[in-house]
Amino acid sequence: ASSAAQAPKNAILVSHRQKGNPLLKHIRNARWTYADIVPDYVLGQSSCALYISLRYHLLHPDYLYYRIRELQKNFKLRVILCHIDVEDVVKPLHEVTRTSLLHDCTLLCGWSLEECGRYLETIKVYENKSADSIREHMDNDYLSRLTHALTSIRHVNKTDVVTLGSSFGSLSQVMNASMEELARCPGIGERKVKRLHDTFHEPFKRVS
Amino acid sequence: MLPFEEQVVADLLEDPNGGLVVVSCGLPVASLASAVLLQLFHQSPDDGCFLILSAPEPVKAQIRRRLLLNSQSQPPLLQLQVHDVAPDLPAHHRVALYASRAALFLSPRALVADFLTSRLLPSRVRALLLLSAHRSSDTSSDAFVARLLRHHHLLPVYAFSDRPHAMVSGFAKAERAMKSLYIRRLHLWPRFHLLAAADLERSPPEVIDVRVPMTQPMRGIQAAILDAMDACLKELRRTNKVDVEDLTVDKGLFKSFDEIVRRQLDPIWHTLGKKTKQLVADLRTLRKLLDYLVRYDAVTYLKYLDTLRVSEGVRSVWIFADSSHKIFDLSKRRVYQVVRADGTKVAADNKGTPTKKRKVARASSRKGKETENEGSSDNKDNTQKVNAEMGIVVEEILEEAPKWKVLRELLQEIAEEQAKGDGDNVNPVHEDGINESGIVLVACKDERSCVQLQECISKGSHQVMRAEWEKYLLGKAELHGLHRKNKKTSQQLKGFGVLDGEVPMRSGESAGPVSISKVEANALLAAASEISTVTKEANLADDSNVSCKKRSFGKGKGKGKFKKTMAKREASKLRNRNTTEHTDLEVEGQSGKTDEQAETDACKLSAEDDSASAPAVDKAANNLSAFGDSVDTEPLPPVQFYALDSDQHVLDVWKPSVIIVYHPDITFVREIEVYKAENPSMKLKVYFLFYEDSAEVQKFESSIRRENEAFESLIRQKSLMMIPVDQNGRCIGPTLANEPEALLSQNSLTRKAGGRKPLEKEMQVIVDMREFMSSLPNVLHQKGIRIIPVTLEVGDYVLSPLICVERKSIADLFQSFASGRLYNQIETMVRYYKIPVLLIEFSQDKSFSFQSASEIGDDVSPTNIISKLSLLVLHFPRLRIVWSRSLHATADIFLSLKTNQDEPDESKAMRVGVPSEDGVVENDVRAENYNTSAIEFLRRLPGVTDSNYRRIMEECNSLAELALLPVERLSELMGTQKGARMLKEFLDAKCPTML
Repeated sequence: ASSAAQAPKNAILVSHRQKGNPLLKHIRNARWTYADIVPDYVLGQSSCALYISLRYHLLHPDYLYYRIRELQKNFKLRVILCHIDVEDVVKPLHEVTRTSLLHDCTLLCGWSLEECGRYLETIKVYENKSADSIREHMDNDYLSRLTHALTSIRHVNKTDVVTLGSSFGSLSQVMNASMEELARCPGIGERKVKRLHDTFHEPFKRVS
Repeated sequence: MLPFEEQVVADLLEDPNGGLVVVSCGLPVASLASAVLLQLFHQSPDDGCFLILSAPEPVKAQIRRRLLLNSQSQPPLLQLQVHDVAPDLPAHHRVALYASRAALFLSPRALVADFLTSRLLPSRVRALLLLSAHRSSDTSSDAFVARLLRHHHLLPVYAFSDRPHAMVSGFAKAERAMKSLYIRRLHLWPRFHLLAAADLERSPPEVIDVRVPMTQPMRGIQAAILDAMDACLKELRRTNKVDVEDLTVDKGLFKSFDEIVRRQLDPIWHTLGKKTKQLVADLRTLRKLLDYLVRYDAVTYLKYLDTLRVSEGVRSVWIFADSSHKIFDLSKRRVYQVVRADGTKVAADNKGTPTKKRKVARASSRKGKETENEGSSDNKDNTQKVNAEMGIVVEEILEEAPKWKVLRELLQEIAEEQAKGDGDNVNPVHEDGINESGIVLVACKDERSCVQLQECISKGSHQVMRAEWEKYLLGKAELHGLHRKNKKTSQQLKGFGVLDGEVPMRSGESAGPVSISKVEANALLAAASEISTVTKEANLADDSNVSCKKRSFGKGKGKGKFKKTMAKREASKLRNRNTTEHTDLEVEGQSGKTDEQAETDACKLSAEDDSASAPAVDKAANNLSAFGDSVDTEPLPPVQFYALDSDQHVLDVWKPSVIIVYHPDITFVREIEVYKAENPSMKLKVYFLFYEDSAEVQKFESSIRRENEAFESLIRQKSLMMIPVDQNGRCIGPTLANEPEALLSQNSLTRKAGGRKPLEKEMQVIVDMREFMSSLPNVLHQKGIRIIPVTLEVGDYVLSPLICVERKSIADLFQSFASGRLYNQIETMVRYYKIPVLLIEFSQDKSFSFQSASEIGDDVSPTNIISKLSLLVLHFPRLRIVWSRSLHATADIFLSLKTNQDEPDESKAMRVGVPSEDGVVENDVRAENYNTSAIEFLRRLPGVTDSNYRRIMEECNSLAELALLPVERLSELMGTQKGARMLKEFLDAKCPTML
């Protein structure tokens, strides 16, 4: 644990209520410190989190609602971090989902304390990160780009991509290959041939 | 129709509520279905239309043919029409068809949508026929249709299946399927049923079982593969995660083995280590290898292995096992051998001369020594040096598939017999009329084998092998050229070392194979360049001035005899390569293109050379009636080739008198039996070609055993089955529907004092057309929600004017995170709806978790799903996430979210997110009108973005067309020059080859 003397600016603020939560052991990639705060965790300028375990929710079904009500509207991102620690999840999870959805909270589920801790860390660490890594983007490597494109067709696997590429020479050749030529490739069966051919030769819009 | 079929139909029609018929595979479902249709139709011809769901294409064709045959003898009023209701048929046409009294083929998806939009009135439907009942379950769309129809109108449902083994997978599958289809009666008609057996065995065809011994290396490979499979299975058992009983090598031969394993492992998939997952994948690969061993020729097999080594790479467990080394080694030895040339190199024209064959013995001993040298890495340099000094030669062995020879002999034998037998029919070969006693049908597994066998017979098997071999060599050489250049210019394309067939090895002890593969690669290259030098000299006089046009012209001239063409073709290709190696990049691009053109030209050429024999290959059967130019002109009977994969029923069409089953298959055997029973007067001789002691035999035999077991289990199930019925003896359908309702009422009781009666009527959800692929609409409907199908631009479900849901299954979630599509989808949803919801839906029978604890790792890694979700949440704080355990849980959540919300507006929801320049989308434009897989493909191409893909789709008809557009036109379409260039470069980039 880090000391409270550190500047709280780049640390996760942890409410005193959370003292003794074994989750804290798993926050290793970000600093954290206790502070007097309303939510369980403050993860940045405008984001906070409440922690709830499903087992606790089953014992105290109203707890979550009161905690959310306390939060008021001070944070843009309000995360409910739900630890799934019961076998029969459907009913309690349904209730938690409903409560968080109706009260403008974002629900995140973790199946282990480690996973829950990782969510907290990540949100803190990524506080100012751009969304580039989840936006459309591709590896620059030719083969992986080719694989990415061709595997969008169902049942086409990596081996087939290599087969197609090496038998036709280039993607445009593959796209203009006839059924017959496609069928000659080892490992490409009747169904794949048809699917490939349809994808390339059927018009985008089937409206006549 | 055979007597037993009539009995089946009579039994089925006895119950006015319909029933489920399960027959052995290969027995005629189509003729049963059409008999049912006709009987019903003639009982009362004016009673509405028949809906036929999920009929596979060949069955459709058969039903159509049978109905047509029948209607010829009927007055026009009593003719049953058949129509195919394609999903893209305009709405008013469909309405007209629904109003007719025809038999209609449709996909359940389209039907559900039509039904929900009341284009189809349930009272108009006379009966519902399902032709692949093994696919039905309580959440499948067939069941949805059945429920929709039965809800309004009590009509009979007739279901058929010819996959008994699929009906017994899972717990009480047959019973549950029947309940969900509202069927009470189960009729089982195995092949061993007394009536069926009697009919089929009354005048059996003459069967000759030909056992072909496999060659030594083939046997070796098979043993090695089985070893590897066994090892994988043992390993899998050791994980203690699967039920051992089911896992035998015998079962491992079937595709359904994967299902068994997956079903056991899916719920705990996230807890499995990488190794176990890889084992499962490896088993699949090995099964394929075993299958291809008897289907592909030696060279193609080797080629496939090479490909596999590239794509599987270092991940596979089995690839490093001892037995896999044997697999690679032996399959190589079936094709070529690396030998040391003594003293001077042998003259370059030595390919194929008999002197080579003599060296084989010595070569293998030499090879043995080399393998001894493996192990110490010091020796590596040593051997290489020696190789450089002595020179090594590749000598080809080109083992032919033993069945080829047998097939040829059989054909000759048949020809002789025919010549003896029909003295009156002097020349059956050149007579194209379907003479009943003339045709020989050769049935193989796939189209590829058909083509190859055909070539074997027309050109001689040696030619075929040689052609494959030369292709292989040239491919290797080409790759090498590319490889070298690539090293020089850029490392843009990584992984070329792997592509060369050299798996990077880390440990010292695995250095041996590397050195050997290097030696071999060198030798192969040498062999390739030998070909090239020979042909180069031969053609030097032809044209010394090399230009693109001239080259292709030169080839055009070569349209003479086959051998010459071959030589020239190779020569010109090689010349291409040689010249390009010295020129700069741009020229390379150009000539690369012509190179490919040359290849396609060559293909065409050889096709022409095939004499008149090759009509379009995409036809199911290839006619090979004339042998004018064949290498040796022995009399052969007219031969038809038939690919079993194409699933067409050709027996009735070709009416063969001799059938050679090249790849034995139980379904086809049954078809032959039925065909023979239907034509008892006809003489029919059937040859089975089996490889002796092969997995092929084993597979065939265990497929029979498996089917019998399935039927036994079904018979047992039938005796214990409990189908609830109402007072009138009608099946009341799935009990499942009652259970969730209890939950619903319990929920609503706590919130709404009035109970839920009015609630059911009001509730409606707008569902995107594309979502009908999933079962969620079905389940929602089960809960009493009205489903309104429309095409949505934003989101998948609109629950209220405020709430819009994007549904992602786990696989979808990972995929669309990777592609970045999810970001865009959420972005638009956030833009247009106050409460945008991302629904993460887990599958009921899979684990409820993202990843195993070991996958979380120690650090925050940007590729982890946690990081991606966190990032998404950070960027869209308004996004709500729903985590749902199963379909049913989702439906419950939807219900509870909808309380206290207004009902969504259909027309509003449809307009959301549709760009104004597109104009308002019309009501009947549907998801099916788009080639979705093409669009997905398009959007994954570099340079194609969200802003320009629509325009590309509009201006360009298909992907094939797009691939040919010049870069100027592309930049016009895409709006950016950079993007256009990027796209064009990607499309035309030379693929790394490794043939």
